Amino acid sequence: MHLNSVYITVGTTKFDALISAVTSEPVLKALQNRKCTRLLIQHGNSQPLTDEETLLISKNYGIQIEQYKFRPNIEDIKSADLIIGHAGAGTCMDILNNRKHGLIVINDTLMDNHQLELAKQLASENYLYYCKVSDLDAQLTSLDFKALKPYETQPENLKKFVSAINELMSH
Amino acid sequence: MTTSAPHPTYVILGSGGHTAEMCRLTQALLQQQDSQQVEKYQPIRLILASSDSTSERQFRQALPLESQAEFVKVPRSRSVGQSWLSTIFTSLWALLWSCYLVWRDRPQLILCNGPGTCVPFCYAAYLWRLLGRLPSHSRIVFVESFCRVETLSLSGRLLLPLADLFVVHWPALATRYADKKNLRYFGRIL
Repeated sequence: MHLNSVYITVGTTKFDALISAVTSEPVLKALQNRKCTRLLIQHGNSQPLTDEETLLISKNYGIQIEQYKFRPNIEDIKSADLIIGHAGAGTCMDILNNRKHGLIVINDTLMDNHQLELAKQLASENYLYYCKVSDLDAQLTSLDFKALKPYETQPENLKKFVSAINELMSH
Repeated sequence: MTTSAPHPTYVILGSGGHTAEMCRLTQALLQQQDSQQVEKYQPIRLILASSDSTSERQFRQALPLESQAEFVKVPRSRSVGQSWLSTIFTSLWALLWSCYLVWRDRPQLILCNGPGTCVPFCYAAYLWRLLGRLPSHSRIVFVESFCRVETLSLSGRLLLPLADLFVVHWPALATRYADKKNLRYFGRIL
């Protein structure tokens, strides 16, 4: 499967390790092998790449880099073939609700990161993948994103919730 | 008993992901087939943190046009990174505000999910109902954050004892708290 356009998002804080991992040689090589030509990076409070670095990456790997700190990102999500993000619930839900291929990267410098629970649960149900920063290149090389399930909402469950509230309020 | 203004539904918003979740739940409540049921939940009053600049717009887009929604901004109990000592004062201030608003509006239903803002509101509602200021049929519904798979959030732990309906999203939590009569798991609802 080709991953022409890849979107990296770190969420509302920063995730230096993710930014340096995606711009490391092995990861760029893996992306290049998957026909990536565009890398959009939402770097939050992490340092962006310098112009020299982006030029060099464009020259060596044929990958155009665009980066920004924060902005409403629904279009960025929609236009990506793959989203690589932190384990935030918002990012996980964006991936699922837009039926995108997603790879969640675990930030192991955050202790007691309960958000990890969600990524793990969703991965166990085959809705997305997750990995450690150090495994990013290997995962990008080997993962079969086509094997992921598209996320379906379950309106009948939501109806049960609404009925429960109706019942609760029927005095 | 005076027939004054109808008792509103309070929907308590946090920020970011929490708002998106709450939009979906409120939509489901207001877009159900039975229009008489929908009518019961009007008017809707949305409570958001004074520092929250994006939730209002997000929510307006999600609501059915005909619903009468009003937005109320309240102080936050605690901002991210705030020191614990000053948290005591800001929490007290937030609690006073909540007590005032709930006393004034006498909501029949409080619907909330996760963010800390909702904790003082639920306590205020619980207190005013005990004291007879709220109708005895008023209810508190807490929906745990979608990202809580195995453990409850702090808000969840604080509100489990007093919520009339406490909804979790994942089976592990349902099993863990199987003895709690007010805790329900409907399968994946989001």
